[in-house]
Amino acid sequence: MIVSRNLLINGQTYPVAVDPSDTLLDVVRDRIGLTGTKKGCNVGDCGACTVIVDGQAMNACLLLAVQMEGKAITTIEGLAKDGALTPVQKAFVHEGGTQCGFCTPGMLMSATALLEENRDPTIHEIKNALSGNLCRCTGYAGILRAVSRCENYRGDGTCTKKADSDHNDSGKGKVGLTNAGPWTSVGVSIPRVDAVDKVTGRIQYTADISLSNMVYGKILGSPIAHGRVKRMDTSKAEALKGVLWVLTSRDVTDTQYGVSPARYDEHIFARDKVRHVGDEVAAVAAIDEKTAEKAVSLIEVEYEELPVLLDPFEAVADGAPLIHERYKRNINTHVDQVFGDVEGGFARAHYVREETFTGNSIYQCPLEPHATLATWDSDGTLVLYTSTQVPHYVQYMMAHILHMPLGKIRVIRPAVGGGFGGKAETTPLDICAAIFSRKLGRPVKMIYSREEMFHHGRGRHKQHMKFKLGVDREGKITAFKSEIYLDGGAYSSFGVATAYYAGSVIPTLYDIPAYKYDGYRVMTNKPACGAMRGHGVPQPRFAFECLLNMIADDLGIDPVEIRLRNAIHPDTKTINEMDVGSCEFRATLEAAAAKSNWPQKYGKLPKGKGIGIASGGFVSGAGYCIYRGQVQLSHEKPREPFVKKSIFPHANAIVKISEDGMAAILLIGAAEIGQGSDTVLTQMCAESLGIPVSRMRIRSEDSDISPLDLGSYSSRVTLMAGHAVSRAGVAVVDKMKPYAADLLGCAETQVVAGNARMYVQGDESKSIPWEEVARKYFNANGPLVGTGCYKPPDGLGGDYKGATVGTSPAYSFGTAICEVSVDLETGKVKLDRFTDYHDCGTPINPMAVHGQVEGAVAMGASEALLEDVVFDEKGRIVNPNLHGYLIMTIKDAPEIFSGLVDSYEPRGPFGAKEIGEGSTLPVLGAVAHAIAHATGVWIKDLPITPEKILQALRQKEQVTEPVPAR
Amino acid sequence: MYVPDVELHEAQSLEEAAALLSRFSPHARLLAGGTDLLVDLKSGRLSADHLISVSRVAFLHGITETEDGLRIGALTTITQLDRHPVVRQRFAALRDATSQMAAPQIRNVATVGGNVVSAVPCADLPPLLTVMNGAARIWSTSGERTVALASFFVGVRQTVLKPGELLTAVFLPEQPGRFGAAYARFSLREGNSIAVAGVAAGIQLGADGRVDDARVALGAVSPTPKLVAAAREILVGEEPDPRVFAKAADAAMDAAEPICDVRGTAGFRREIVAVMARRALTSAWERARGTKP
Ligand SMILES: Cc1cc2nc3c(=O)[nH]c(=O)nc-3n(C[C@H](O)[C@H](O)[C@H](O)COP(=O)(O)OP(=O)(O)OC[C@H]3O[C@@H](n4cnc5c(N)ncnc54)[C@H](O)[C@@H]3O)c2cc1C
Ligand code: FES
Ligand code: FES
Repeated sequence: MIVSRNLLINGQTYPVAVDPSDTLLDVVRDRIGLTGTKKGCNVGDCGACTVIVDGQAMNACLLLAVQMEGKAITTIEGLAKDGALTPVQKAFVHEGGTQCGFCTPGMLMSATALLEENRDPTIHEIKNALSGNLCRCTGYAGILRAVSRCENYRGDGTCTKKADSDHNDSGKGKVGLTNAGPWTSVGVSIPRVDAVDKVTGRIQYTADISLSNMVYGKILGSPIAHGRVKRMDTSKAEALKGVLWVLTSRDVTDTQYGVSPARYDEHIFARDKVRHVGDEVAAVAAIDEKTAEKAVSLIEVEYEELPVLLDPFEAVADGAPLIHERYKRNINTHVDQVFGDVEGGFARAHYVREETFTGNSIYQCPLEPHATLATWDSDGTLVLYTSTQVPHYVQYMMAHILHMPLGKIRVIRPAVGGGFGGKAETTPLDICAAIFSRKLGRPVKMIYSREEMFHHGRGRHKQHMKFKLGVDREGKITAFKSEIYLDGGAYSSFGVATAYYAGSVIPTLYDIPAYKYDGYRVMTNKPACGAMRGHGVPQPRFAFECLLNMIADDLGIDPVEIRLRNAIHPDTKTINEMDVGSCEFRATLEAAAAKSNWPQKYGKLPKGKGIGIASGGFVSGAGYCIYRGQVQLSHEKPREPFVKKSIFPHANAIVKISEDGMAAILLIGAAEIGQGSDTVLTQMCAESLGIPVSRMRIRSEDSDISPLDLGSYSSRVTLMAGHAVSRAGVAVVDKMKPYAADLLGCAETQVVAGNARMYVQGDESKSIPWEEVARKYFNANGPLVGTGCYKPPDGLGGDYKGATVGTSPAYSFGTAICEVSVDLETGKVKLDRFTDYHDCGTPINPMAVHGQVEGAVAMGASEALLEDVVFDEKGRIVNPNLHGYLIMTIKDAPEIFSGLVDSYEPRGPFGAKEIGEGSTLPVLGAVAHAIAHATGVWIKDLPITPEKILQALRQKEQVTEPVPAR
Repeated sequence: MYVPDVELHEAQSLEEAAALLSRFSPHARLLAGGTDLLVDLKSGRLSADHLISVSRVAFLHGITETEDGLRIGALTTITQLDRHPVVRQRFAALRDATSQMAAPQIRNVATVGGNVVSAVPCADLPPLLTVMNGAARIWSTSGERTVALASFFVGVRQTVLKPGELLTAVFLPEQPGRFGAAYARFSLREGNSIAVAGVAAGIQLGADGRVDDARVALGAVSPTPKLVAAAREILVGEEPDPRVFAKAADAAMDAAEPICDVRGTAGFRREIVAVMARRALTSAWERARGTKP
């Protein structure tokens, strides 16, 4: 029964008709249109929906709207008054308190409720107040800084709180720079270009967008992990009032899709059988989401259950049923690589140790659930709003699935609330929404629930790793052998690349003269695993770093020292033919050790306290595109042989100058997903144009407006898109030069642009305003536009099978030192401190770089200690939610010091490399080592839970306790 | 993930609530803060056609001092309990639970009554209220009755409440001199996560410093907040010291009936129970001696 209520929101009364079952969250978002309040879980776990009710923070998802009359409700939209940000909003902007921004409104509401009661809270009080708000991006460091320094932003001059500046180190000067600086826009910690929109709740994520006449869709997932669909009856669902269409496999093509062209193995809906719980079997479109959800539950499906395979070792065993006929022994990918004389290397070794390590099943858990909104233009163009980190690949895959040219597909990527690899594929939402919308002639919105996200999967592969490492007397590596079984889940997804990555990025850190890698990616009846931050590498890196630390201890060599002895040098070709250019790995080791007082601590701390170290590094962009050949509908182009060069540019930019010369619009399809790419690309472009960032705008969200960029994966954007945007900027300046030369009375070659002026090189007194030159250009030629593009260098990588994976124009390096306290009675680990030093080349925006490191540390540490997707014996996920699958809260996150060593990468724009993924890599190993140091026991399977620690301590007691004489 | 279609009734009085409940039984549920109920309805664990809200019933609100103790209205939120001056002064042990439960957004809404009546094994207040000799004030149209919390819980999500009965308040008797209570809880994460094991302890010291009486109650490791009789036997008459506490803690461990789930195996939970029991006993003892607030 619909009732009417007057809701007092942000000081304004809204008369609304509500159903008694409506939550305040749904009413505020969908009925009133205040979409700043977010839905991240719908059950009180994430805090994204936090609003203030009569002065108290509450979860809007757990309040019934009918009961809210007479209460004063404040949402994020109610904070800024007359457009003026509140001090805490300002602090979030300037202290790096927001990244993807999805947690930001809720965070700010909690912080505001706290600050209204307590203007000067302690760190402890802040952590308490924000403990119900999850953030997956910032590691809470920027948020904590923002709230604790909020007084500085009051602007009434009453108080300036001392900033504790000792949380980062952005390097002093630049090493070996020939063409470095002095820069004005690059190397500067400016706030994110989207920060204000994020702290005000104004920015729109896909789920926040509504089009007129819009309807909703929901997908029915299989309740069983393996079986045949015997019968399906959709009549009850069809009969439900409000249902528009029930879509099943009968209505769609049997085109297979996926990520790796050689292994497209997903169907829109299960054809022959279902292969994991959640595997899509049907979908419903209805007038609202609740009706669609109800209709989905009315679809009757009868299954014939098949044996369920959950363990890769069982799956490869003789006689195991096949999950896909085409993958013999359920092996989806087998990697078999040998470099150098491995047996000889072990024979020559002074010491060899072999260990087995096991990783965990990690889900990215971006705070924003996947969402899609599809609509078709009258000319037959599909317009797809989607929460993705790879708009171009979505366009490519939708073209493949719908059999239509890429040019007829317009992908719009609204703000994305985090991806971490979980949004690097075309989702069933994209596909179903497009199909529904075409049939119904209406826009269709589809959003995953938190539980559906877990069932869609694409998280980190759980890896079972057997590693053997040989070293000589000095601890120098002589040979390394790894055998890895990757638990792939039911489909290929990115898994082929994952299996290769698990081996290929190991030799980029240390000099390994002989290396053998055997990798098996095995199908199991679980949601498909995909690419997650650090793609394939974090677990092998964890294992490798642990093994190296064990060996260091065995040989009595300091763990820092053993790394220094093995660290590769700049300009090295690794044993697997990866081309490493700049490399300040040693500097990261030395700086981290010095900053953390390592020599005074390692081996010297009391029981229960530990310090540990690990290193890591990553590619700055994959050397090759995921598909072969040119940009074209895949059915139409011939199957092309692989060539060792890029067919088309991987990043493309256009800079368009406004006719009055006062604004530059940067167009590039690079996917801002929270990592800050819009900001650093704007900075680089501004630098090359010679104008301040304040004169720039970036349009990166719409494929109709911005040219192709391959997207946010493999930590590629800063380097690759950075080149494209700075080249586009240079192209503009080149076009302006003749006009400037004319006005300045000098030669074209003498003209330089900078500080919004154009002047004669070496004589800044002779200058004219930049915009004046732009106007002159426009008067003569019409639009002033520059374009730029980037192709990775030709010939990257060796000639062996899989040699492309792991290739990159440049590599990052980093070292993390972790300090912990372990409660030896309960096994509970408290992370005290992280000291991280990274070589990311030139930091384009140091604050953004530190933000990536802080986020990676918290995410990695959370993976190491808390996270694991758990399956029951039937393959059902036991914890597909944020109260069962725990990610760190602000109370768990460590204090983080993030430092950068001076470095310059000649192949990167302005000397820059990557930071986003590489910063995750050292974390797991450092945590494990610190715990081993604190407890005396190594936990070799992740996550390192209190239970495993206690068990290991008990076992150790039993072994070492003297057996009493009879 | 939507609340299914329901009717919401705002009861103005206990009588009205009771009438509505009986009228729509068994398809009606009482709604307090809704932090348990709405999650259960959304997830499909529970169903209901009618929600009877009691938020407007004044009798259920407020914390009042009576001559023999503290009456905590069923609709008192966890935050209100946590911040109440009398609680802070004289029932500080409650804060061992209220400061660690859930997250502020939940604590601002979740009620004491809901925490007790939902009778979820991992709920934090029941074991603590039990060792503090708390009692449930139960109302129905046929009158009021009081049931000690020690006998209020009968199983997982089951209490002695009969159809038509409501919890109006939890009553805590004035804590006697030389009595101390405490709650120790173990969870996997520091913020917003439920207890893997929790142990509440109450110690009454005699004038000679020996234990006159003691109570140890378990949370999250048995279907109900179970009082460990064996622990009491070990403690009573003893000079409190770590050795005795360890013995009592072992008894608590033996009494635990934990389940295995994602948060931990039964074996691990048992071990944790012993540690938490030692810690709770130590804190309770410190409070009894007045060395801890
Ligand atoms: C994210 C999250 C975290 C949580 N963390 C914790 C935690 O750490 N520790 C913990 O203990 N709990 C936790 N909870 C559970 C919950 O918040 C508490 O149990 C809460 O106290 C329940 O109170 P409520 O008012 O919300 O109850 P409601 O949901 O309104 O009611 C719960 C049940 O009790 C019944 N009921 C309520 N009041 C009465 C009454 N007066 N008489 C008769 N029946 C009544 C209702 O009919 C219903 O069946 C958490 C919940 C969430 C969503
Ligand atoms: S959406 Fe309400 S807490 Fe997550
Ligand atoms: S910024 Fe917090 S979740 Fe992305």
